[in-house]
Amino acid sequence: MTLIDNPDQKDLADAVRKLVSARSPLSKVRAVALSDAPYDADVWRQVCSLGLPGLAIPEQYGGADGTWADLFVGLRELGAGLVQTPLLASSVLAAGALLAGDDEDAKSTWLPKIAEGKAIGALAISEEGDATWGAQPAGVTATDGTLSGTKVAVLGGAEADVLIVHASDGFYLVETDQPGVTVTREEVLDLTRSVATVTLDGASGRLLAGDAGAVLDRVIDLANVALAAEQSGAITTCIKITTEYANIRYSFGLPIGAYQGVKHKLADDYTEWCLVDASVRTAGEALTTGSSEVSVAAAAARVLASPAYTRAAKNMMLLHGGIGFTWEHDAHLFYRNAVAGNVLLGGPLFQQDRLADKLGV
Amino acid sequence: MPADEFRAKALAWLQEHATPFTAEAADRFAPTLDESKAFQKGLAEAGLAGITWPTEYGGQGLGEDELIAFNEVSADFLMPTGPFVIGLGMPAPTILELGTEEQKKRHIPKMLTGEEIWCQLFSEPNGGSDVASLQTTATRTETGSWLINGQKVWTSGAQFSDFGAILARTDPTVPRHAGITMFIVDMHHPGVTVRPLVVATGDAPFNEVYFDDVEVPADAVIGEVNAGWAAAVVMLRNERVTIGARGRARNNPLGFDTLREIASDVGTSDDPGVRRKLAMVYARETAAAAFGRVLHEGALSGEPIGARGSVGKLAGAEFGLWASDAAEEIVGQDIALLSGKSAKVAKMILAGPGSATAGGSNEIQRNIIAERVLGLPKDPGAADRKTPFNQLKLSK
Ligand SMILES: Cc1cc2nc3c(=O)[nH]c(=O)nc-3n(C[C@H](O)[C@H](O)[C@H](O)COP(=O)(O)OP(=O)(O)OC[C@H]3O[C@@H](n4cnc5c(N)ncnc54)[C@H](O)[C@@H]3O)c2cc1C
Repeated sequence: MTLIDNPDQKDLADAVRKLVSARSPLSKVRAVALSDAPYDADVWRQVCSLGLPGLAIPEQYGGADGTWADLFVGLRELGAGLVQTPLLASSVLAAGALLAGDDEDAKSTWLPKIAEGKAIGALAISEEGDATWGAQPAGVTATDGTLSGTKVAVLGGAEADVLIVHASDGFYLVETDQPGVTVTREEVLDLTRSVATVTLDGASGRLLAGDAGAVLDRVIDLANVALAAEQSGAITTCIKITTEYANIRYSFGLPIGAYQGVKHKLADDYTEWCLVDASVRTAGEALTTGSSEVSVAAAAARVLASPAYTRAAKNMMLLHGGIGFTWEHDAHLFYRNAVAGNVLLGGPLFQQDRLADKLGV
Repeated sequence: MPADEFRAKALAWLQEHATPFTAEAADRFAPTLDESKAFQKGLAEAGLAGITWPTEYGGQGLGEDELIAFNEVSADFLMPTGPFVIGLGMPAPTILELGTEEQKKRHIPKMLTGEEIWCQLFSEPNGGSDVASLQTTATRTETGSWLINGQKVWTSGAQFSDFGAILARTDPTVPRHAGITMFIVDMHHPGVTVRPLVVATGDAPFNEVYFDDVEVPADAVIGEVNAGWAAAVVMLRNERVTIGARGRARNNPLGFDTLREIASDVGTSDDPGVRRKLAMVYARETAAAAFGRVLHEGALSGEPIGARGSVGKLAGAEFGLWASDAAEEIVGQDIALLSGKSAKVAKMILAGPGSATAGGSNEIQRNIIAERVLGLPKDPGAADRKTPFNQLKLSK
């Protein structure tokens, strides 16, 4: 195993990068953000044609039998472009939950569709007032296979065909096209993510076989690395755009990038990114080899990535001066994404506590 | 030899000859110079020194895989190799890259066996960050040898060094970077005076070194006459990689393993804030080590480390300073004691600023990263790059 991209991953990164610049430049991201659609169907088709949704899904369930590290390479490049897709919600969270459980029926029904990108899955864990990402689910209760209650902050919920719902007695598979399921897409700070509130009122669900605690644990690991990979990509873009600007914007007769107040911030952001990138790679390696350090490595990647991204995005705004604060400039798209990403899928204190737990502190 | 086989061989040797890392062993660990020399000799004889270096100069001719394997295995042992870190980390790779065949044959094998200890004589009282402002001179004699005069400072290990790689000004009439030459200097020459400097921790790890008509032969030049800046850049790059790309050092008093142990001893480990701090210590420490691996594996596949070595150096220095603050919270009031388990932590906190400064300050590393990795414009301070040295304003 290595911590650098293997040749296949390099090719994949190139292909996704090309797709992003050709089909989803930031102008397109902005247009999608301001539209009613959570993502652009054409871009999603392209992402699917590269095989991303099925990359980490085993062949027997219609996937490409790659590794999670392969998928993170894709997420990193999409994250660098802030591209809106259901990939994280569907192929990491929902597929990850199915794969972590023992429900062969649910796996063979849904994973092939998710792998193809034909169906979109979402994972409903969070509840109002619970900052621990699912430690004590109480908000959704099941009686005789019907579910009632509310889940919040469901990533990709509004576009999902199927929800994996964390209820008080386990994970349930809930199809969204039935009475009793109300999905409301929320207005959110981050213009590039689709987040929904899901209300279940006697919706029919199917209890998934498997140990719910183990599934949740696995999903948190996957979510942490996947999000950190996206954020790692986004940090590189913040640095790139700001560095370009620092070379062309003049002040007091010199490009602003000649001044240490500017260059040292960028050097710090870059150094922090190097640590984030290395830790994402470590976690990807641990997932691929099935190391016992997976949870530790995943949480470590996340606790570094999210704050580093917030800082890089903030510096991007600041180092662009007044322009950086305008609606027209892309900096706020990154800043919004970073601030929201810091609390998404379990906030910073939960993640630090999780890392401490996993380290046995 | 496959890396796994090499790993097993290294492990077997270390198990027999080195002290396994434990907190208590680390507390008592204070090897003498002779013990260090004997250890280095054994390491070289066992084929565990100069792992990636050419065999004709005493190296093993192996790959980065083996080097990484060795670094991983040896992290679990207390290695008394401190006196050789500078020589093997900086002058040796520079000589391998720029030195003459004669220099390589003569010095590299002895550096590997610990018979020759080396120091790096760059910094001067009037400038450390701005290395190229150096004022020590070397003037050519009629026979073609050189006479070195001047003063160096902050020279680590000069008190026990046999040789040094010194930068001296050989032409003051050209811009400062253009008139410098690097020489090999014999530290036992009668004109060399070494005076220890006591530092903030109370130790005396480095020195002032005076040169008074120290004669070195013509073949002591490393690289070309007046091209010493290029040699210095090579050596500084190696220095940052040596300092920056260390693995997760288990015996780092500010590292996760030690701090966790102390937290549980002093009874702060149930405090939520302390638990979170420890988690972050772990995350930052392991990420820095992983970044070192990324650099080395990249180099192996053809992407040179280059100026990214400064990232490793800066990240390591920042970790030390950040962990100093974290340690105050984790260790609690015992941090003020110079006795017991927290004593090493307290000393390390005190040593933090020095470690950050050694090998180039954080500001200098940031300049390097910004300019050479990110491609930002040169610092305005570089404006005097064209002025002849003898017309410059310098600190006195
Ligand atoms: C423990 C230790 C071991 C050392 N070992 C050796 C050794 O073996 N051999 C050797 O040759 N040297 C050695 N040094 C010297 C070391 O390389 C210098 O101390 C270091 O490069 C800083 O130089 P200076 O001390 O002259 O500080 P200065 O250069 O005077 O710097 C003072 C302050 O100004 C800042 N500064 C300077 N220039 C700039 C700039 N352009 N932009 C922004 N800020 C700037 C610095 O960051 C620093 O904060 C050692 C130092 C230490 C602390």
